[in-house]
Amino acid sequence: MSDPVVALVMLGLFIFLILLGFPIAFTLMGMGVGFGFYAYYQVGQEFVDNRIFYLLTQNTWSIMSNDVLVSVPLFLFMGYVIERSNTLDRLFYSLQVSLRHIPGSMAVAALLTCAMFATATGIVGAVVTLMGLLALPAMLKAGYDQKLSSGVICAGGTLGILIPPSIMLIVYAATSSISVVRLYAAAMIPGILLAGLYMVYVITRVVINPKLAPKLPEDEANVPWGKAALLLLQAFVPLAVLISAVLGSILFGLATPTEAAAIGALGSLILAAAYRALTWQRLQEAVYLTARTSAMVCFLFVGSWTFSSVFSYLGGESVIKEFVLAMELTPIQFLLLSQLIIFLLGWPLEWTEIIIIFVPIFLPLLAHFQFDPLFFGILIALNLQTSFLTPPMAMSAYYLKGIAPASVQLWTIFKGCFPFLGMVFVTMFLVHVFPQLVYWLPGLFYGK
Amino acid sequence: MVNRLIYGIDQLNKTVGHAFAWCILILTFGTSYEVFVRYALVNPTSWAFDMSYLLYGALFFMAGAYTLSRNGHVRGDFIYRTWRPRTQAIVELTLYILFFFPGVLALVYAGWSYGLEAFRLREASVWSPVGVPVWQMKILIPFGAGLLALQGFAEVLRCIQCMRDNCWPQRLHDVEELESAIRHEQEDLAKRQSTPAGPK
Repeated sequence: MSDPVVALVMLGLFIFLILLGFPIAFTLMGMGVGFGFYAYYQVGQEFVDNRIFYLLTQNTWSIMSNDVLVSVPLFLFMGYVIERSNTLDRLFYSLQVSLRHIPGSMAVAALLTCAMFATATGIVGAVVTLMGLLALPAMLKAGYDQKLSSGVICAGGTLGILIPPSIMLIVYAATSSISVVRLYAAAMIPGILLAGLYMVYVITRVVINPKLAPKLPEDEANVPWGKAALLLLQAFVPLAVLISAVLGSILFGLATPTEAAAIGALGSLILAAAYRALTWQRLQEAVYLTARTSAMVCFLFVGSWTFSSVFSYLGGESVIKEFVLAMELTPIQFLLLSQLIIFLLGWPLEWTEIIIIFVPIFLPLLAHFQFDPLFFGILIALNLQTSFLTPPMAMSAYYLKGIAPASVQLWTIFKGCFPFLGMVFVTMFLVHVFPQLVYWLPGLFYGK
Repeated sequence: MVNRLIYGIDQLNKTVGHAFAWCILILTFGTSYEVFVRYALVNPTSWAFDMSYLLYGALFFMAGAYTLSRNGHVRGDFIYRTWRPRTQAIVELTLYILFFFPGVLALVYAGWSYGLEAFRLREASVWSPVGVPVWQMKILIPFGAGLLALQGFAEVLRCIQCMRDNCWPQRLHDVEELESAIRHEQEDLAKRQSTPAGPK
């Protein structure tokens, strides 16, 4: 067997092994070491002198001292603290009373709450679960349509991985070695556009068919403006200030993403203390969960870097490149094909695996088709919204089903998510047709 | 006996993981301090950058085994979860032996000489003028990997137990992600409500 063929066997075996459900980080590490031993084997060399051993530790150390990934645990910590700070119910209630004159006010408020809370925490599961307990029963009680109510929560909560400061974009930046700051600037407008389209969709549906979201009874809806403003000041404003401070300091170049994340984490501790939610137990929980989730993400990197350096040493990368080039795709065909593959990967896999393991396969091809990794990254970030919403592994839908009233069927939740999938595709199309949506903000801040 | 061994390993890695997890607080305050002195006192520190990645590296690497003990490393489990526990255990056991141990033990072995070398040279960071030491982090690699291997051994014992009983042994209690904590709470609640009332 020639080396490139071995590389292809390696890739095929890996995909088969993913299906077996073993922790992927260690599959990658083990395969990297095994195939690497073969690749670097030299006749007459001592077993222990094989280069793969050096490569493995060197890769481990590069991840351990990676100055981009440092912000991952900090943003996670910020998220876990905010998640435990009892702000969600206040946020939802304050938005609900402030938006009460808009058609489908509760659904719009739920969407906004989800989007904002998910942006601050970046933890989709928690947002969807908490809102499923809080907003879903409230909407159903008010006579809202089941599909609409559950779709709003799933889609809104998933926005947290897209709108900066999001961990997914940091991970993509580390994978493709582009600047986190530019990537954040580039993701702002598409993220807000998608959230806006969700909102327009909800309001339009309700205007066309008011039965989907009946108006609240007068006595419940009748909150004086002063009180509504006070509620907003207590719940909405602090969180908004925190997010804008973190984002602003990154975008205006006042702080590196790591520093901004640290400030955000500090801010979240202060916020939690101000809401009297910062108990010793909650702090411990946040600290321990941060360590676990960071280990999960970063070990995936350790495995993946080892795997992919062996893979490309064996010539796997160039085989794939030659294969794709031989297909003589036009750039647009390549774009469609790659996004389709990522969309399909999102059915069974989660964004961590897709970005850390599969996206690097596409990255070397971008130059040939004259795509910018920045632009491609935004399309991927949008695309991966769907991975939370499409069966069979629609994580958001499962989180919601896990705590929803028994009368809400899983299939109803899926059906509720489908229109929002459509909005994701519309946004991707718009971004493709008007690349300025991506480039305008980074250009404004940092020039070309 | 076997259970005590498994729980002992779990407990060890939980303790180590929890201890290193607190790095996040130092990281938060240290980095915030750097921002403060840079802007308020126009006097940036010479150690903050090195400190940040050293703490982050220790944090995630030493939590690897702890994460494994909580079954927290991501899997593509959409087929896996449909199998009987016994099938799951057989497949996992095989993959632990075929992939996990070669990879992790290679890291223990190679990390040992790598760390030792750094220790001998008392290696310091190349990024800072004050020579922040980095050897202590490199020497963590074999230890972190060793703990991972130990936890892998505990997981293998779990697999064997599961193959015998056709159900996964219980894990020690620890913090859960909010979504699973809430779900378990609700399931408990439903159970408690349904049992005393009985069928009517």
